[in-house]
Amino acid sequence: MVHKKGSGKPDNEPAYMNRINRLKERVLKTRPEMDLENAYLLTKGFQESEGKPLVLRKAYAFKKQCYEKTIKIWDDELIVGCPGSKIRGGILCADSCWSVLDRELDTISSRPYDPFYLRPEDRDSFLAEIKPYWKGRSNYEEWLAQIPHNTKQLRDNGVVYIDRKAVRGWGETTAGYEWLLNVGLKGIMEEIYNRRASLDITRPGDYEKDYYLQALALAAEGIVKLAERYADEAERLAGTEKDQVRREELIRISETCRHVPFNPARTFQEALQSLYLYQIAIFMEQNAASYNPGRMDQYLYPFYRADILDGKLTEEKAQELLDCLWVKFSEPCLFQDALTAEFAAGYPMFQNVCVGGVDETGRDAVNELSYMILQATMDVQLYQPSLSVRYNLAKNPNSYLRKVVELISLGTGFPAFHNDDQGIMMLMNKGVPLKEAYNWNPCGCVETNLEGRMRQYTALADINLGSVVEFAMLNGKCQKSGEIIGANSGNPEEFNTYEDFFNAFKQQFAHVVRAVVAGSHVIDEICLERPCPALSLTFKECIEKALDYAWGGAKYNAGNGIILIGVADLINSLAAVKHLVFDTGRVSMEKMVNALVKDFDGYEDIHKLCIEAPKYGNDDPAVDRIAGEVFTYIADEIEKYKSKYGKMTPGILPVSGNTPFGLEVGALPSGRKAWHPLADGVSPSGGTDFNGPGSVLKSVAQIPHGRFVQGTLLNLKVEPAMLKTENGITQLMALLKSMCSLGVYHVQFNVIDQKTLIEAQKNPDQYKGLLVRVAGYTAYFSELGKDVQDEIIGRTVQQGISVG
Amino acid sequence: MIIYKSQAKSISGNVLRIERSSIHDGAGLRTVLFLKGCPLSCPWCSTPESKHPGEERGYNPYLCTSCQRCVAVCPSKALSSDVKENRVDYDKNKCGLCFRCIDVCLNSAIKKYGCRMTVQQVMDEIYKDEIFYYHSGGGITISGGEPLAQPAFTAAILGECRKAGINTAIESSFYAEKQDIELILPLLNDLYIDIKHMDDTLHKNWIGEGNTIILDNLLKTESSPHPVNIVIRIPLIRGFNDDRHNLIEVLHFAEKLSKVKLIELLPYHRLGSETYSHLGLNYTCTEITTHSIKELEELSAFMTSKSKTVPVAAGSGFNAG
Repeated sequence: MVHKKGSGKPDNEPAYMNRINRLKERVLKTRPEMDLENAYLLTKGFQESEGKPLVLRKAYAFKKQCYEKTIKIWDDELIVGCPGSKIRGGILCADSCWSVLDRELDTISSRPYDPFYLRPEDRDSFLAEIKPYWKGRSNYEEWLAQIPHNTKQLRDNGVVYIDRKAVRGWGETTAGYEWLLNVGLKGIMEEIYNRRASLDITRPGDYEKDYYLQALALAAEGIVKLAERYADEAERLAGTEKDQVRREELIRISETCRHVPFNPARTFQEALQSLYLYQIAIFMEQNAASYNPGRMDQYLYPFYRADILDGKLTEEKAQELLDCLWVKFSEPCLFQDALTAEFAAGYPMFQNVCVGGVDETGRDAVNELSYMILQATMDVQLYQPSLSVRYNLAKNPNSYLRKVVELISLGTGFPAFHNDDQGIMMLMNKGVPLKEAYNWNPCGCVETNLEGRMRQYTALADINLGSVVEFAMLNGKCQKSGEIIGANSGNPEEFNTYEDFFNAFKQQFAHVVRAVVAGSHVIDEICLERPCPALSLTFKECIEKALDYAWGGAKYNAGNGIILIGVADLINSLAAVKHLVFDTGRVSMEKMVNALVKDFDGYEDIHKLCIEAPKYGNDDPAVDRIAGEVFTYIADEIEKYKSKYGKMTPGILPVSGNTPFGLEVGALPSGRKAWHPLADGVSPSGGTDFNGPGSVLKSVAQIPHGRFVQGTLLNLKVEPAMLKTENGITQLMALLKSMCSLGVYHVQFNVIDQKTLIEAQKNPDQYKGLLVRVAGYTAYFSELGKDVQDEIIGRTVQQGISVG
Repeated sequence: MIIYKSQAKSISGNVLRIERSSIHDGAGLRTVLFLKGCPLSCPWCSTPESKHPGEERGYNPYLCTSCQRCVAVCPSKALSSDVKENRVDYDKNKCGLCFRCIDVCLNSAIKKYGCRMTVQQVMDEIYKDEIFYYHSGGGITISGGEPLAQPAFTAAILGECRKAGINTAIESSFYAEKQDIELILPLLNDLYIDIKHMDDTLHKNWIGEGNTIILDNLLKTESSPHPVNIVIRIPLIRGFNDDRHNLIEVLHFAEKLSKVKLIELLPYHRLGSETYSHLGLNYTCTEITTHSIKELEELSAFMTSKSKTVPVAAGSGFNAG
């Protein structure tokens, strides 16, 4: 999500925006840096606790981090906390992946995706203190030593991407924030104490439980100390602060941090502060993306409501506090290796906040805070938090949908719009009963989660569907490397029917899934040595079972997520082969294969036929039937496999992986040329949908979304006229409702702005479906003369002309 | 004309194209069916490919690489290569409209305008968007070309939509036979009618036909028992119909009709100018300039100030320049 400066800003900003703008400015101006303090303290902690069980050492080191890390409070802040020592730091998780930094020491400051500035003194400290201790001991090294042979071959040829969880910590989870706010660490520590008291260490198994509960207590003590240190710092600053107003703010911060997260929160500010201190704690414990605050409008509401009723808080003050927290969410930066960054670029913390939907009784859950949280994203317009809305067609009010559309119209890419019923269905399909599934929340990108109760890697590995098609066309050969690494599915020239070809695809896909599942088991095994006591603290069942989150202690444990990339490329390729080779016989399989191998060079007539074959995204039953069939098969195939925690779980969310994967795939029967990006998410391929957004939704609805329980991602282009006029806004609301009725799970919008049109003018092939519309007239943008195109480019945002 | 129900779905007509999810052609999200064929000859027409009722061939020389593949396959010898100009010349009179040239063109330089569709085929497309009509209050808009140039086809489609509970509208010049108007009125929710000029002679001079039939049909609609809503649209052409006198005349006429709910001023646009050259036609309106938003709003405010009953709105604004 790119921050767009100045877009949609009202002229009469409320007074609190002065502070928010200053806070924002600081984030935008600060260059992301490697922050090695955390890794240094972790290393010292491990050195000081040699001989103890691993989880105790991890907890001891975490506690040391809390006791010794740099504590800073910056000007203007009302909510405080920083997981490292730098405002925009990338934390290295030394125990997971010290060697990633080792490999990139010379390039990290300047690499093309997500560079981090590495100071010379930090580089020295890394080489002198961190690297020597961890060499040979990290999860990543274990993974490299244990990766199954075929999995490695497929990974090295860009058919799968599976290193993600070996180069960073857990993430992809929603901690039990609600429980923490309501009982405080004090309450949680009592639970731990009582559970420990019930053990008898002469009983087999209880010793492990005993030291595990000790580890939880250490982590809790660490967080309590961390908060006290922030309270002390605020008090110190207040002592020297000359400005009366700021001094009072600092005193308030100090009082707040003195109270929470140890005690239950009493006020809205305490609730926000408690939440954020815990948020930085779990990030300090393990650098990872997707620690999701989840349903903030639900669990914060009682605090907000009470403060308003007591007259302790005004709506404006509450908005300011929320906005301050929003800026904090944008400060930390995810450190990951260069390749992983290419698959998910933009320092993506993916802290997914969610509003709306239904409550645990199935009733409308929208409240005043839902609107204020949407407003916070409208005010702040930074990278984070990732804002999601749950929209329940039957239960949520139109005024809420309207506010959502207003946020969409700012063109920031937020919010991610989720169809509530499909989300509930996905969670149930993960084995969660309906009563609890009502409380689901989007996680990371578009995955599904349940606060304080659910463990899984939601996006363990990505499968390149373009490569799988290539294997089916070339009988298991990877075109780029020439290696035979797929299954032996037969010479396609000997296929007599489309079913023969489809079976070949299935064999190839099954082959790749087996390799991914084999790799997933290895990672699950390695991750048993990746306990996370600070995170586990807010998972009630982890305390009850005295079993870490990493060991399956959460109430629900799903199998890891397997992500599919290149959906439209697959559907269009199957449709083209069916149509051209088998239904009409216009192209022989031999010619098709030759054309692909030559990237259509010398086969321009075949390329034309491939491009003109039926395409996904046009509400054309001839191709959409294939979409339903193949994605039902894919879900079946993935669900065949289990991990030790549950069924493996499919999802469709490329983040940015469709681009690097595309570089590994030769030409496809869809007409896509070699080494070009694949289509993103469940969206149609660029330039292949011609009938506007309604038809895209109709096609996309043919995929059985509810079965892709880690979510499905749709990017839709939207006409500026839909966002600038009353009528357009109403119609976008209708389109979103239609999307829910159709059973599509998620959508987010790219506004067709001038930049898009200039791009379309330069690359007409990629934008063939772009329509220009006024009353009584429509035409394709690419077919207009350049002078008329220029006029439209000059007038895009004007009322009445809509392009899209 | 009498249509027997059993035959309705097999009637066929000339269709230019079908657009989906439109927000500019009536209430809600609409499927817009553009028909081919129009009896009028407005020189500013933005959709010249809709004028002739039959299929037509368009050619974009800028996309053509003069590869000769089309020349080689043409069975009627209608195509010849012009090497000097790097283009292919087309003899319309020889062309048998087999469109084999499209099949071999690798650069999408040739385009087919129009196709014959049965009512059933059209309805299959319309039904696809039912969910969008349901949530938006949208429906089908038949546009053109002139929908009433194919009255049986238009009426059959509107009738099928009625049966399916789909909201119906047409965008028409209303230059049509009286009995055809009677045929469609019971089947319609909304009518969008252009009034290009109130002066019969000027109308005839510019467009080729007078306005009497159009105005009569509007009066007939007013007196019919069918509760249809009318929106009168004035396509604003500078120097032809944008003088205040004409606008007041339209207003006065509209105020006599209780079924007129709105007058919309639509500014001229030249988005379709390229299509003229693709069809081998001359675009004669190159000198016409579009009204600015400010001018449009002024004219609309002027009419509003004079109006007692009918609201006036500035429609889709688009400025050349």
